[in-house]
Amino acid sequence: MENIQELINTLSADTRVVKPAPHPFMLSLKWMGMAALYLAVSLAVSGLRPDWAAKLHSPWFIAEMATLLIVFITTTFSAALLSFPDMHQRDRLVYAPLAAFALFVLVMFFAWRADSPPSPLPVHSIECTLSIMLMALLPAGWTLYAMRRYASTHSGAAGSVALLSAFSVGALWLRLYEETDSIVHVIERHYLPMLVIGIVGMWLGKKILKW
Amino acid sequence: MTENTGHLEALMMQSLKGDQRAYAALLQETSRLLRPFLSRRLSAASEVDDLLQEILLSIHKARHTYDGLRPYKPWAYAIARFRLQDFLRAHYADQLRHAVDFDELEETLPEYVTEPAMSYESIEREVQKLPDKQASILQLMHQDGYTSREVAEKMGMNESAVKVAAHRAYKLLRKKLER
Repeated sequence: MENIQELINTLSADTRVVKPAPHPFMLSLKWMGMAALYLAVSLAVSGLRPDWAAKLHSPWFIAEMATLLIVFITTTFSAALLSFPDMHQRDRLVYAPLAAFALFVLVMFFAWRADSPPSPLPVHSIECTLSIMLMALLPAGWTLYAMRRYASTHSGAAGSVALLSAFSVGALWLRLYEETDSIVHVIERHYLPMLVIGIVGMWLGKKILKW
Repeated sequence: MTENTGHLEALMMQSLKGDQRAYAALLQETSRLLRPFLSRRLSAASEVDDLLQEILLSIHKARHTYDGLRPYKPWAYAIARFRLQDFLRAHYADQLRHAVDFDELEETLPEYVTEPAMSYESIEREVQKLPDKQASILQLMHQDGYTSREVAEKMGMNESAVKVAAHRAYKLLRKKLER
């Protein structure tokens, strides 16, 4: 008891004006803005896929991009909420990526059914996964670095959504850059690795977001 | 209850503005709030105290994640639960690490059952060569006859830490005596 009182005295003597952290909504907007800028610069450097104008008329491509964007937005918002010890008391919103992923899977299923006869597989394979991962390195780094300034009590989940958010930036870039129409290839090499990334993020989060 | 809750938020808001008195009052209220929560989950009073200190430190470190616009209690309890889980995880991991394997136990069991073949006095010189803390613990337990709880109180440690230190000392001694 005496120790507690001593500690309270020390901590209160040590206190000063503290600027509260921004609202998770603003925090995620900032991260999304940075990611959008990064994506725009990357596309300006790499260039858009040559058939991008025709792709704007492909409903399943648009649906895929829109749901991937929703995955990115929800994972970023979830990462921002998970940076706070009490998840800013918005526990349910943390699970928003699950709904986004369900929608995304549904869209990919219909896109796969619509891809008939199937488009030919590209000659490359794993390069796509590696390119997305390479592209995601920077956003993953800055998001995890930014999250370390807060105090996550769910570090595994926080790391997982942070990495998924970064990976979706990479996936968006590759779909807008690479001229591939094979949905089987896209599912297998672009999106299925997300499962592994989620698990890696969980492990990384536990290591990096400790406080 | 609501009045008290509002009071906590007001105290936190003042604390964030650098008011030391408000902050001391807030931490006191918080420790009063969390003590029963921890006591229900931990058996030793010393563990409750240790963990409560850790939680207060965590609240201090994470206070910038509270903006005063949402209830204070869920925020503080989230930190408390997090630290409690950490503590229990470390506690059980430690117990597992230091658990004596049955096979190992079989090897070390002496043939005698009722009378020890070795007295404390006969190994006192070896005990003195152990690290100070371990030597003192063994001396208090085996020469002066104190229980591990009493040793913990005397040395300002918690009981499980005393048991762990004693166990390590036994292992070291066994190695030395086997040579």
